Amino acid sequence: MSAHTDSPNLVSDEPVVLAGAGLSLAGPRDFFQLMKPRVMSLVIFTAIIGLLVAPGDLPLYNSVMAIFCIAVGAGASGALNMWYDADIDAQMTRTKKRPLPRGVMEPRTALTFGFLLSVVSVWMLGLATNYVAAGLLAFTIFFYVVIYTMWLKRRTPQNIVIGGAPGALPPMIGYAAVTGTVTIDSTILFLIIFIWTPPHFWALALYKLSDYGRVGIPMMPNVAGPKSTRNQIFGYSIALAAVAAAPVFTGLGGSIYAFGAFLLNAGFLALAFKVWRSRAGEKDEVQPESLYEVQKGDRDARNLFAFSILYLFAMFALIGVDYLLRGAI
Amino acid sequence: MQEYRDRPTKFAEPTPEEIKARSKRNVALALGLLLFVILVFVTMVSRGQLPNAV
Repeated sequence: MSAHTDSPNLVSDEPVVLAGAGLSLAGPRDFFQLMKPRVMSLVIFTAIIGLLVAPGDLPLYNSVMAIFCIAVGAGASGALNMWYDADIDAQMTRTKKRPLPRGVMEPRTALTFGFLLSVVSVWMLGLATNYVAAGLLAFTIFFYVVIYTMWLKRRTPQNIVIGGAPGALPPMIGYAAVTGTVTIDSTILFLIIFIWTPPHFWALALYKLSDYGRVGIPMMPNVAGPKSTRNQIFGYSIALAAVAAAPVFTGLGGSIYAFGAFLLNAGFLALAFKVWRSRAGEKDEVQPESLYEVQKGDRDARNLFAFSILYLFAMFALIGVDYLLRGAI
Repeated sequence: MQEYRDRPTKFAEPTPEEIKARSKRNVALALGLLLFVILVFVTMVSRGQLPNAV
């Protein structure tokens, strides 16, 4: 707020006090929300598994630092994404309560916050582990912010297919923090998340169709239609099952993993099959605000979306548990 | 002391909510900076990059 006025008070020495100084009302919690904590939890978990199963030793302190830096880097990408997407976030029911649409902070604050955290996380990761891991983290942030958020998201229905790469990189970064390299096993960890991303997001997009359509984001159901999306969800689910079998052949996963992964992928395929048979996404009405609330007919898509989150956590937990148990025997 | 020719005559007084939010941000920023300095120091020591400093 400016202190200058058209008619300055030249007579009285008493200052005139205005109501409110226009200062930001953002608290630490709002900054934390900028970092997309829900996404960060998945990043942290998958990075821990990547770090755990990597051959070699990294001291405990450096391991904790690696996970911390990967989490902060992911949070920084989230903040930069919210800065760039503030206009569409304000129009979508799922995102309109984020700090920028609520107006508690200025966009440049989110930009500065995200940029600063990006630089610090990459530098610290290089310092604590190695520069291959740091380079991968820098690439992840760049890909998510520039390639996905700025370039692909508003231009192509393949946005989340290609844009799934940064979400899939954390276990590879965790792995590289120990080994300093990229291997077949770390690529498999990457591929599990990469192939999982399209059915996960398209299931959500099927029952949040109007939300994405209203802001002009070309999600697959809006562009290719719900039927084509359901076909592709099923196709990707089959590919996911194939990738999920790969750890058994490379030695990354043992018998416990094989058994658990078989059950999880059977469940995923069954739910994807139900979506394929359903008419999910056919109705284009105003949709409920909650992430899990659905209109009648979209329930199968909602079920697949909810299960897909559990699936990814469980798959990586299996890889970790299997590795620990094999080490203990 | 120098007299200012264009002495401001209107002041924007922050509301209690604005002051409270600013205080919280200041504390968080201070803690964040402290954490950053500690982490850099410990990381340098863990990598043996501060041989004669401590």
